[in-house]
Amino acid sequence: MLVIAAPFLVILVSLLIGRYPVDIATVLNILGCRLTMQPCYIEDIYQTVVWDIRLPRAILGAMVGGCLAISGAAFQGLFRNPLVSSGILGVSSGAGFGAALAIILFHQVAAIYTFAFLFGILAVVLSYMISRVYNGTPTIMLVLGGVIVSSVFSALLSLAKYLADPTNELPAIVFWLMGSLASARYSDIMIAGIPMLIGVAGLILIRWRINVLSMGDREAHSLGLNVTINKGIVIACATLATAGAVCVSGIIGWVGLVIPHIGRMLVGNDNRILIPVSFSLGATFLVIVDDFGRILTGSEIPLGILTAILGGPFFVYLLKKTKGGGW
Amino acid sequence: MAPLLEVREVSFKYPQALILNRISFSIDPGEVFCLLGPNGCGKTTLLDCILGWLKPYEGQVLINGSPISRMSAPQIARQVAYVPQMHQKTFPYLVRDIVLMGRASFIGPFDVPSEEDVAIAEKALDMVGISRLKDRPYTQLSGGEGQLVMVARALAQNSPVIVMDEPTAHLDYGHELVILETVVELVKQTGLAVLMATHVPNHVYYFENQGVKPRAALLKNTQITSLGKPSEVLSEQNLGELYNIRTRIINCALDDGGQLKQIVPISTINTNKGGNSLENI
Repeated sequence: MLVIAAPFLVILVSLLIGRYPVDIATVLNILGCRLTMQPCYIEDIYQTVVWDIRLPRAILGAMVGGCLAISGAAFQGLFRNPLVSSGILGVSSGAGFGAALAIILFHQVAAIYTFAFLFGILAVVLSYMISRVYNGTPTIMLVLGGVIVSSVFSALLSLAKYLADPTNELPAIVFWLMGSLASARYSDIMIAGIPMLIGVAGLILIRWRINVLSMGDREAHSLGLNVTINKGIVIACATLATAGAVCVSGIIGWVGLVIPHIGRMLVGNDNRILIPVSFSLGATFLVIVDDFGRILTGSEIPLGILTAILGGPFFVYLLKKTKGGGW
Repeated sequence: MAPLLEVREVSFKYPQALILNRISFSIDPGEVFCLLGPNGCGKTTLLDCILGWLKPYEGQVLINGSPISRMSAPQIARQVAYVPQMHQKTFPYLVRDIVLMGRASFIGPFDVPSEEDVAIAEKALDMVGISRLKDRPYTQLSGGEGQLVMVARALAQNSPVIVMDEPTAHLDYGHELVILETVVELVKQTGLAVLMATHVPNHVYYFENQGVKPRAALLKNTQITSLGKPSEVLSEQNLGELYNIRTRIINCALDDGGQLKQIVPISTINTNKGGNSLENI
């Protein structure tokens, strides 16, 4: 119960937090009248800060964090490897290169989203095709495909950085790669939300089968699963969710690896529970981290940096506390 | 009436090598069929063909008369369950969650197990006698207990046939017997058919001694060289040819008056030197 409520609580709290002070009564008032479509009798500046700046950012943060964590959990099960994260098939590297390309070619936010999303998907499609040298998609070949595609796109990204104009394009690329929610608007939620929602819904629906797939291909087959199709569904859903998240937020590492483990420590390894809990924990975690990013210093700290700095020690603390969770 | 499981003229080859050449046999309900052969002779390949995991390039595997090449993975799983030789454990799932996975072929792609599935899984745990372990992470079990979990998972599939690939290969002396006893009990109680690949000829004699009427087949150089009752197949002569060893079959009387049959190895045969061949035994 607490796990389900947590993202909503932290979204509410993050509406109060920031350099422009807004008290809770005002926040609740604004939420109340906006959600019920009533006219608001509160100063416009408060409405703008709470409804147009903080709320979309918090919602987007929750969705991005949830998507990264849920795909990480799904991939860990699928690849039977607890060290796998949402970027294993190259979606982050592909998206990074796509974003850099769009920054150099178009200088437009819309183009960055589109390119990041499409190249993220393209990277996974390439990894998947590489893995199909034999019949079926052996896990080891998928991982290998992901490694190959990731390194090629990383090299292309370096090339893009090298060719970029160092006065404006290069900083834009570097900042995008560090991850940020600063530019979040409702339109972002609407557009990127579609692939994220499809991916998350698919993973939640198929979550029990991820248990069976984690038994290995031969056993999953003998237990009665069409391994190729079920693997394909999980990969497609996790990729849609991750690509949708990454294209609006930039590269945010760590969430897709560690949040599923925190979930494993809290609720165990049964994907029936772990998959939805991972989404919830990822959402909560990223909103909190983004709040810290906004208030810690005068200017914002990029999200990708903070997730690692805050997440690492927290993970060690949990490891100690739960004695590793039965590994 | 068609046999429960029929392997008809099955051949399988990898690009470089022929592995199975026109293998045929059939299995009836309540039967224990043991498959013996040296390492690398194709036992696991044959089992994979029967599970539908590999496709034979010639011949067919039929269940109740219908070919599995035309069946989907869930349809096959409802007929044939599988106990792996060595299960690679990854995540510390609870024992009951593992056994529940045996229900996968009955559960829709976007569904989760129902109360009924849970009840069937619990019954399977009970039949194997490991209900006490159900809330433990299966990564913390001993090898023998882990293998019993695999047997329970196969039972939860409610299939008329269970295929076991060297189910006792990594187990100690005691746990090996636990698995064999469990198999005997299940076959006697439920009329299940068991197809078991094994390296131990005495497993076949064990089943015979326990009164389940096993049959054995020897697989060597892509073909079944001998098939039938234990006494016909597992002769000193046949095992000598199969493994290049000298053996002796011994009978001893048990305290309760029953007869116990075992085969014991004596020495390897060095074919290069001659002189030490089977005729000299």
